[in-house]
Amino acid sequence: MSNILEIKNLSVSFASDGIKERAIAVNGVDIDIPQGRTVGLVGESGCGKSVTSLAVMGLLADNGRVEGGEAMFGGQDLLKLPDRELRRIRGNRISMIFQEPMTSLNPVITAGKQVAEALRLHAGLDAAAAKARTIEIFEKVGIPEPERRFGCYPHQLSGGLRQRVMIGMAMVMKPDLLIADEPTTALDVSIEAQILRLMRDLQRESGTSILMITHNLGVVAELCDEVYVMYAGEVVERADVMTLFSQCAHPYTRGLMASLPRMTPKGRRLYNIQGTVPNLRAMPAGCRFSPRCEFARERCKTEKPPLVDVGNGHLCRCFEPRTTPIAWGGDGL
Amino acid sequence: MVKHIAKRVIVTIPVLLGMVLVIFFMLNVVPGDPVTVMMREHLKEDLIDRLRQSMHLDDPFFVRYFRYIWDALHGDLGVSWKLNRPVTGLIANAFPCTLKLAVASSVFSWIMGIPVGIISAVKKNSLVDHLSMGVSLFGVSMPIFWVALILQNMFKNVLPVSGIESWKSYILPTIVLGWSSAGRIARLTRSNLLEVLRNDYIRTARSKGLSPLRVITGHALKNALIPVVTVMAIQISSLLSGAAITESVFAIPGVGSLAVSAIKNRDMPLLQGTVIFTAVLIIAGNLVADALYSAIDPRIRVE
Repeated sequence: MSNILEIKNLSVSFASDGIKERAIAVNGVDIDIPQGRTVGLVGESGCGKSVTSLAVMGLLADNGRVEGGEAMFGGQDLLKLPDRELRRIRGNRISMIFQEPMTSLNPVITAGKQVAEALRLHAGLDAAAAKARTIEIFEKVGIPEPERRFGCYPHQLSGGLRQRVMIGMAMVMKPDLLIADEPTTALDVSIEAQILRLMRDLQRESGTSILMITHNLGVVAELCDEVYVMYAGEVVERADVMTLFSQCAHPYTRGLMASLPRMTPKGRRLYNIQGTVPNLRAMPAGCRFSPRCEFARERCKTEKPPLVDVGNGHLCRCFEPRTTPIAWGGDGL
Repeated sequence: MVKHIAKRVIVTIPVLLGMVLVIFFMLNVVPGDPVTVMMREHLKEDLIDRLRQSMHLDDPFFVRYFRYIWDALHGDLGVSWKLNRPVTGLIANAFPCTLKLAVASSVFSWIMGIPVGIISAVKKNSLVDHLSMGVSLFGVSMPIFWVALILQNMFKNVLPVSGIESWKSYILPTIVLGWSSAGRIARLTRSNLLEVLRNDYIRTARSKGLSPLRVITGHALKNALIPVVTVMAIQISSLLSGAAITESVFAIPGVGSLAVSAIKNRDMPLLQGTVIFTAVLIIAGNLVADALYSAIDPRIRVE
């Protein structure tokens, strides 16, 4: 199967006021997104998962800079493409949905116009045709009374409807790749399920590949085919979704799994990973997870483990990958 | 929308009445007797008393207040003690000069201030930014009379510096007045635009593939200019009521000059008239700002 997007050895740094040294937020990340599949990118806040996607789209904030690597999309390296050509791909062949539907839409422009804008830009439609097409896509993403909603301002719509507008905006050009950055984090659980179902239906229909950025393992289980786990700016594990949930090998991923609430006898405390994510400017010399790892040895503190195949394309960045299946009934690692 | 505005107009009525009351009261307690102002000091006591009576100056305060309101509603703001002409007519004669100056300097400040603010925000921390913000800060902080005198001195051979001879007479006063307004607008536009550009919806607009120019003109500007429009509306209303200092320095016979001469001559009816005229314009300016605000920003539009 061919890959729609291949991110190779991507590194991104950020400058902060008053500090000379740039902070490395993403450090040598490789991610492949196969055609028509959904790839999950998991990790806690600040691990670099959003930065990775923004770098690929050329949407990094002013203080961010790509330090190296490539992002091959349809034979072109997105990271080296001039802005004018990247803009032809953005919103057309690759589109994005963001976390906060409350702030991701422009408050003074009607919802319909914001979607129609992409059509006028990329499909060259006139105002009337773009409006008709927008109302069509509104209907498809499950917005009731699409004609009336076309003229609504974002503040007149609920959070769920706004996220549907965002999805409509992202899907209207039938992109090859949809990057969804925590699209359901700000929504309540029943709306979340509806939005995930909608994304899956749209994907089935258009064959769009999805890069799903999330910290919610439930969303991963629901939607993804493959998963990359990131920690402190690096990929620490890659596996297909079944393998990940049955026998993930990296202690960090095991910790994430163990800290999921489950049906255990009353009175047991939920597992949590001790400590916090290391500072970007003060990374541990060896394995970046070693200060928090229950299984860390001396070697882990000084030597950096490579990302190795532990079988069938299951990659893990650990000297001693766990091999036992996850005990979903018990607790601990 | 219409109902919203009508409501705001009705609310201004008590504001106007209270404002006239305050002005009326203040001028009432200011020392100086109108009769002696009018007739000079060498008059006999009984003549003074008779004059006071004929001018109803002996009536109780509130009787005089309500009579003034009643007359004002009929377009009569009294008669200038010094010039012996109706105050309404004096203001009406002076207003065209003030109007021309206000419109010219407002337009000047908009077409200078807004583009400069936009360019400064887009080219943040560049030489252009520092330069234009410096010039803006200069305009905002320098006293108007000082800038006026310096410009008069610099351009005295090229442009008229005093009185109204032709349209050229308005050039220097327009720059003097417009510079500080333009500076304020430029700085406000810049800071608002920078703030708006940090919003999530700007990233959304960029992710759609819009060019940087279209992101600014189509998505950022409308949000950034909402507070600027408010400032513009209030600014023009205060300019319309007369720029006292600028009009005095350039000897422009506008409402501002009228007010200054009223103060110098202790001409209470004229002073009262110009102050009330100013206040009414500022209240109207606020009303217009309010209406514009809800026209641009759908979030505060009342359904």
